[in-house]
Amino acid sequence: MSELATLARPYAAAVFKRAKETGETVKWSKCLAFMASVIKDEDISVVVDNPKVNKQKLSALMLDICQGHVDIENENFLKLLVHNNRLDLLPTILRLFEAYKAEDEGYVEVDVYTAFAFSKEIKQDFMITLEKTLGKKIHMNVALDKSLIGGILVRAGDRVIDGSIKGRLQHMQKALQ
Amino acid sequence: MQLNPSEISDLIKKKIENFDLSAEAHTEGTVVSVTDGIVRVHGLSEAMQGEMLEFPGNTFGMALNLERDSVGVVILGPYQHITEGDIVKCTGRILEVPVGEALLGRVVDALGNPIDGKGAINTTETAPIEKIAPGVIARQSVDQPVQLGLKSIDAMIPVGRGQRELIIGDRQTGKTAIAIDAIINQKGTGIKCIYVAIGQKRSSIANVVRKLEEHGAMAHTIIVAASASESAALQFIAPYTGCSMGEFFRDRGEDALIIYDDLTKQAWAYRQVSLLLRRPPGREAYPGDVFYLHSRLLERASRINAAEVEKLTGGKVKGKTGSLTALPIIETQGGDVSAFVPTNVISITDGQIFLESNLFNSGIRPAVNAGLSVSRVGGAAQTKIIKKLGGGTRLDLAQYRELAAFAQFASDLDESTRKQIERGQRVTELMKQNQYSPMSVAQMAVSLFAANEGFLDKVEVNKVLDFEAALQLYMKSEHAELMNNINETGDFNNEISSGLKGAIESFINTHSW
Repeated sequence: MSELATLARPYAAAVFKRAKETGETVKWSKCLAFMASVIKDEDISVVVDNPKVNKQKLSALMLDICQGHVDIENENFLKLLVHNNRLDLLPTILRLFEAYKAEDEGYVEVDVYTAFAFSKEIKQDFMITLEKTLGKKIHMNVALDKSLIGGILVRAGDRVIDGSIKGRLQHMQKALQ
Repeated sequence: MQLNPSEISDLIKKKIENFDLSAEAHTEGTVVSVTDGIVRVHGLSEAMQGEMLEFPGNTFGMALNLERDSVGVVILGPYQHITEGDIVKCTGRILEVPVGEALLGRVVDALGNPIDGKGAINTTETAPIEKIAPGVIARQSVDQPVQLGLKSIDAMIPVGRGQRELIIGDRQTGKTAIAIDAIINQKGTGIKCIYVAIGQKRSSIANVVRKLEEHGAMAHTIIVAASASESAALQFIAPYTGCSMGEFFRDRGEDALIIYDDLTKQAWAYRQVSLLLRRPPGREAYPGDVFYLHSRLLERASRINAAEVEKLTGGKVKGKTGSLTALPIIETQGGDVSAFVPTNVISITDGQIFLESNLFNSGIRPAVNAGLSVSRVGGAAQTKIIKKLGGGTRLDLAQYRELAAFAQFASDLDESTRKQIERGQRVTELMKQNQYSPMSVAQMAVSLFAANEGFLDKVEVNKVLDFEAALQLYMKSEHAELMNNINETGDFNNEISSGLKGAIESFINTHSW
């Protein structure tokens, strides 16, 4: 995984720079997401991984699938990836691109798992507190997770704030061993 | 250990009372690959170099490589249950081990867990395994001796408190034997001993423990064992663990002696870890920092002054210096001291005791090569009487070595040369000493005095050891007061000189050897 990131980084950095120049980060983001989901498709990945498939045919196929979702710059990028045999990097490129975008716009993606659904006011309050704790603006995705039993689990990148009953029980289990 | 139910519930209650319920914030990562005890973890962006990382199943690892997208971690202990995708947590702590008086008499592994079946270790204090050595201001020069109890070493290659003296030699030359004798001889001196066994057979470690117990030397000794069957990571950190345990005593104004047996195997373990971490190999496939591996370890063996001890103990211990003496062991291959690791360690230490297999095989045990062995700082620390009497020994042996080749033409040689050869043969014989029979300062003084004053010259070469044994017995029974006096003061003056002379002369008159 780390090796893939090293390979994907120059592509992601180049795409992001170009997107910033033309002011089309949102469009690029959508386009990369689409291409990545295409690559993840099982039938397509068989074709991509097959060394016998000729590069021209492969790029024609990819362009055909992506028709309507890509502009001329996106097309060139896709052709470049096919030429360099790096189509399988697309999901990693997408992830890095999103990370660059988030850093540039000054927010962090935060996943919040709760045992019980938030009310709107609490969600707002919680978001403000979390922004203060992390010192950054946040994009919050809330998900319900009954296995937590109670409380909240917050994931912001590598950082985890565990305030769930499940986490405390695990902690206690260790302490009592 | 027997516990009744109410005690158990009390224990649990106490644990629950002290239980910290605040929300836990930490950094997480996921395992990407597991290869021979080396785990690559994605994430963990806030991990520190050397930080303890928590894996599932109460397993810990140490972060060694911090890279752009991943962290290279060595697992400390078994790693078979770790799989790709496991969650890894930062603990925010550099690897620590328990330290304290409670460890004395115990056998522990490289993480400080007891492995001798004598129950938990009753100490709350811990210390990080990697510490920076005391600074220049904190140090004091070496001027007190550590008596190893071996005539040949204490007379010719003295070791001082806070010194680093390398024991180097091929396999089967008695390196460990010297170390064990040194530990046994510290009984009653207040010097605490730590024996770090790295990459040895478990049976050898058990033997060492048994021998130390037999001679009542376990009470002042800690054994840190990372046997050959334990992972390379544990073998690599074991010396640092032992060093931290020794520093505990040093920093409290006491004296400690640590033996690393042996650093060659530690370098091998570190080479394995480094290559698996994909660090570039250098000479003999060792990584680039193999010199620093040993220099940072041995630099921690030092003598610190009273002011530093006072500072470290918060004013509780005043006017006492602390020391940690190190006896690292290096095993050479075919007597080659110019290999990579031996040259490194020779240049780091304050001298070396060089053991040779041909000496060992010809019955000279300890097989110390007096010409190649040196002690760069020990002279200043030597007991007065041994320094005075031992000086002649070195000279006698050096002159003998030059002339030894002519020994077979004894009849054609001039008087003085023949005398030197004969003196050399007797001194060589006298330097032999049995294992597990360390000698006190007074005993050594008597033997050395007898050689210096020429009392041995009339004794046949093959009778020298018998003569010595009988002399020691005689001195013990007839001149105990003189012996005690020497042991207590360590001085050498006319009174003692004439006392020894008189005693030995009266012994010779008994003809009892």
